Amino acid sequence: MTTTVGIRSKDGVVLAADKRASKGFFVGSKTVQKLFPLDEATAVAIAGQMSDAEYLVSLAKAERRLLSLRRGYPLSVKESAKLIANIVYSGMKSYSPFYVELVVAGVDREGGHVYTSDMSGAVTSEDFMSSGSGSPIAYGVLEQGYHKELSLEEAKKLGEAAVKAAMERDPGSGNGIDVLVVPNGRFHGEVN
Amino acid sequence: MAADMGRMPFFYNNEGRLVQVDYALQAVSRGSTTIGLKTKDFAVLSSQVKPTRPLMEPSEKVWVVDDHVGATGSGYIGDVTTLVDRLRVQAQRHRVVYDEPVDVNTLTRGLSEYLHEFTMYAVRPFGASILIAGADELGVQLIQVDPSGTAFRGSAFAIGQQSDDAIEAIVKGYRPDLNVEEALALAARAIEGANGGGPVPIEHGIVMKDGRRFAHRAPKAG
Repeated sequence: MTTTVGIRSKDGVVLAADKRASKGFFVGSKTVQKLFPLDEATAVAIAGQMSDAEYLVSLAKAERRLLSLRRGYPLSVKESAKLIANIVYSGMKSYSPFYVELVVAGVDREGGHVYTSDMSGAVTSEDFMSSGSGSPIAYGVLEQGYHKELSLEEAKKLGEAAVKAAMERDPGSGNGIDVLVVPNGRFHGEVN
Repeated sequence: MAADMGRMPFFYNNEGRLVQVDYALQAVSRGSTTIGLKTKDFAVLSSQVKPTRPLMEPSEKVWVVDDHVGATGSGYIGDVTTLVDRLRVQAQRHRVVYDEPVDVNTLTRGLSEYLHEFTMYAVRPFGASILIAGADELGVQLIQVDPSGTAFRGSAFAIGQQSDDAIEAIVKGYRPDLNVEEALALAARAIEGANGGGPVPIEHGIVMKDGRRFAHRAPKAG
């Protein structure tokens, strides 16, 4: 279920998601938070099994904090995506998979990045990515509306439009849109 | 009997002392002078940075454990850093389980239990004492943990070389209404006094009751 969207613009990244949690054909919750900041510069949009995704996010937060304390600077977006993918991959290999599809987006020294990791632990990166049951519909809007010179404000509007379109036709998505914007330059060089 | 004891240094000696722990404490008292100070509003950790010679970078002596907790230590630096890393892992593990920052007592308890294990078996106890400063629901906390696993709570601690001299200087200069600058100056004075009086490189860390954020304080020039 769920629709999440991540978009890279020249000025930063945008994450958007709907707010519905489905219990089969029943709307379990109308106010679910699916966007989680890992720190000031990186965030995750979750889709799939809520419990798995939330646990994964808290684990990723802890591992990132430890690594950045030990080495003195935070993880890049790629490192964060790979860290999460590795946890998911080991879950799959030990026959207790995480039923999740995550969009990891953020800014680092090189600017904005958007990654997705599916439940097999495969990591892919494109200018815009979507996950969840509404993603085919969201991708339609993104393919139509995306271009490289998108401003952050335009990317935000495109993300909202993509999730909105998915909510119209995907019964697993609905009940409003959350948007999270991370502008370039949020990357902080040192921990404390 | 006494001869048998000599072959089992990890047991009590004739006086009922754990000599391994005594040796570990001796190792601590050879370490660099390190101080913790607390008022109701803040806590500071200060440690002498050594060795210093040209072309060598000073090693880190005060560490951030989590947003709201910091630690320093004296003794074998490898033992200190290992224990600090353990504290960091425990702090993050607490966040994963409870989704809340760990309180300083729980954190200290974990370290105490870990250190205590090493007093019970034929292994080398850690040659390090740790000072932990943090801010939590109960306010500002300052705790010293010894190689035996004993935890002491208080307003001021000194460990390492000439710690007796340092604590004497602090007892003389301590007031409950010290401000941050005064506390840092007092800690620096105590460390320098314990090391012959001249200026020595010192690393400081501070945590305030308001904000609950432990951060390094860059040493003031001159």
